Amino acid sequence: MAALMIKPPIPFKEDTVLGQNNKRYKIDTHWSQADVSRYPVNDCHEMVQDSKGRILLLTNETKNNVLIYDKKGKLLTTWGNEYPGAHGLTLFNENGTEVLFICDNSRHQVIKTTIDGKVLMVLDYPKETGQYSKAEEYIPTETAITPDGDIYVADGYGKDFIIHYDSQGRYINYFGGRGDEEKHLLNAHGICLDFRDSGQPNLIVTSRQQNAFKRYTLKGEYINTISLTGAWVCRPVIKGDYLYSAVLQTNSRQGQQSGFVTILDKNYKVVSNLAGSAPNYTNGQLDEMYQTIKCFDYPHDVCVDDEENLYIAQWNSGKVYPYKLSPVI
Amino acid sequence: MKKILLPALLFSFFNYSYAQEFQLAPPMLQYSSAFFTSSTTVSLKFEQPGTQVFYTLNNKESTENSVTYKKPIKITKHLTTLKAKATGKGFIPSETVQVTFIKDGLKIKSVEQSLPDEKFPGNGTRTLFDNEGGIANLHNKNFLGYQQDSVEINVTLEKKEKINSLLLDFLQDQGNWIFLPQKIQVFYFDDKGNHYELMEHKEISADSIIKGSSNVFEIIKASKKFISDKLKIILIPLQSIPEGHPGKGKPGWLFIDEVKIY
Repeated sequence: MAALMIKPPIPFKEDTVLGQNNKRYKIDTHWSQADVSRYPVNDCHEMVQDSKGRILLLTNETKNNVLIYDKKGKLLTTWGNEYPGAHGLTLFNENGTEVLFICDNSRHQVIKTTIDGKVLMVLDYPKETGQYSKAEEYIPTETAITPDGDIYVADGYGKDFIIHYDSQGRYINYFGGRGDEEKHLLNAHGICLDFRDSGQPNLIVTSRQQNAFKRYTLKGEYINTISLTGAWVCRPVIKGDYLYSAVLQTNSRQGQQSGFVTILDKNYKVVSNLAGSAPNYTNGQLDEMYQTIKCFDYPHDVCVDDEENLYIAQWNSGKVYPYKLSPVI
Repeated sequence: MKKILLPALLFSFFNYSYAQEFQLAPPMLQYSSAFFTSSTTVSLKFEQPGTQVFYTLNNKESTENSVTYKKPIKITKHLTTLKAKATGKGFIPSETVQVTFIKDGLKIKSVEQSLPDEKFPGNGTRTLFDNEGGIANLHNKNFLGYQQDSVEINVTLEKKEKINSLLLDFLQDQGNWIFLPQKIQVFYFDDKGNHYELMEHKEISADSIIKGSSNVFEIIKASKKFISDKLKIILIPLQSIPEGHPGKGKPGWLFIDEVKIY
């Protein structure tokens, strides 16, 4: 027995550490224990954690649109066969009950469901805006829900408008859209609420083809732009003081599996790029960012759990299940 | 004793077995244009601690015995190819990234070409002889994009010169249906006969599918000596995309960003 202790059974090799500064992680590409023959995935678009600590994954595989895991990667249950364009997944605690908002690209709808998949509300294309003549022009990618239940929908693959509804799904207003001004968006792929400034909650919207996040008030007034040079950022995900975002690919290597994950601090400054270049600012301007390690193909979302682990869902990446990243202290 | 050792062994087994080796991404090449008049510089970027970038300028593959990149590289020689690779302990070395720098040739007075697709109109009337480009991105404004049966380019030199060869720079980005032309024909204007004479022609086969996006230059050498100030280039875009590509059987796009005469 003592002799066995001298040499580990597998030759020792150090884990690859991703990221810089105080945001560094180890990666586990075999986190999911799901049986691929029974529970396949297609594009893994988004993930959230519920109050029970479970990890919910949304995929556009209609055999099982939602896969629910524990944090160790054990598949607990699945549901959903009617979301061929499943893309956006947002969790909202509605008076103590958790509900989900799914954006479906193919159905041109936003669907509110219970945590186990019962449909509660369907939002069709927003003809009230006067900007749409048919459902096909509207391809929603993401929602953000205020504490009062107001719904913001990002039409990220359609006309790039942000459409605002009350909690009952009644239309209020819209903003964003395409154009040449700073307030306009191009590929408004994600949206989230930012409560980190205690005075005033704001909206952060992705303008992916412009490699930027844009901030707006809850009324839709443009505040400012956060440039993320070179990076096709997906939705912003806020946990604690930090903002996390999957970078689908980089400008300089489009169509070449050049994705990574970026992390910004409270001042919207990039502090770490996981599998990406160490962030550097020259005269206050962020240097172009790029992939350095080929861990990911096309990351599409980051989920941060209650223990600060990250789960990375990927689009068009050989139907892989999500990867788990654990902090390196 | 056994009770303590067995879990320790099992722990070490599972802890080690998941360590995974990843490949590095290629270093980033930074240059303003692959075309230059007297000299140009190129930088290599790779902000990943614990790694190095090696490069060659002699067209050989870069290895760990090649030069380590430290500062921007000055390029003065026509057709200098830079090949670079990132390596680091615990990583699989990156793929090679490369670019060829092309020196200006005989002075061109004007170029007139077939009207490109409205989405890819280039960068003004001097697009094909502005010494700008060589950047493999279809959205780069230096490319003229075509999807038609043939493309005609008429080049007029500043003066009559002895012409030895011609260089055409294309984009190859098959994922976006952009292919090299299947045929290039070059004619020169013969003053004596007052007509265009064939200088040379070249056929390019597209039987294999190539991943990624890169600039590819084609050099056409004159088989006989002549003096002229006018050249006519006929490009035949790929008429039928090969097997193994989603666009099989359909015509490909043609993207060109520069013409050089030597």
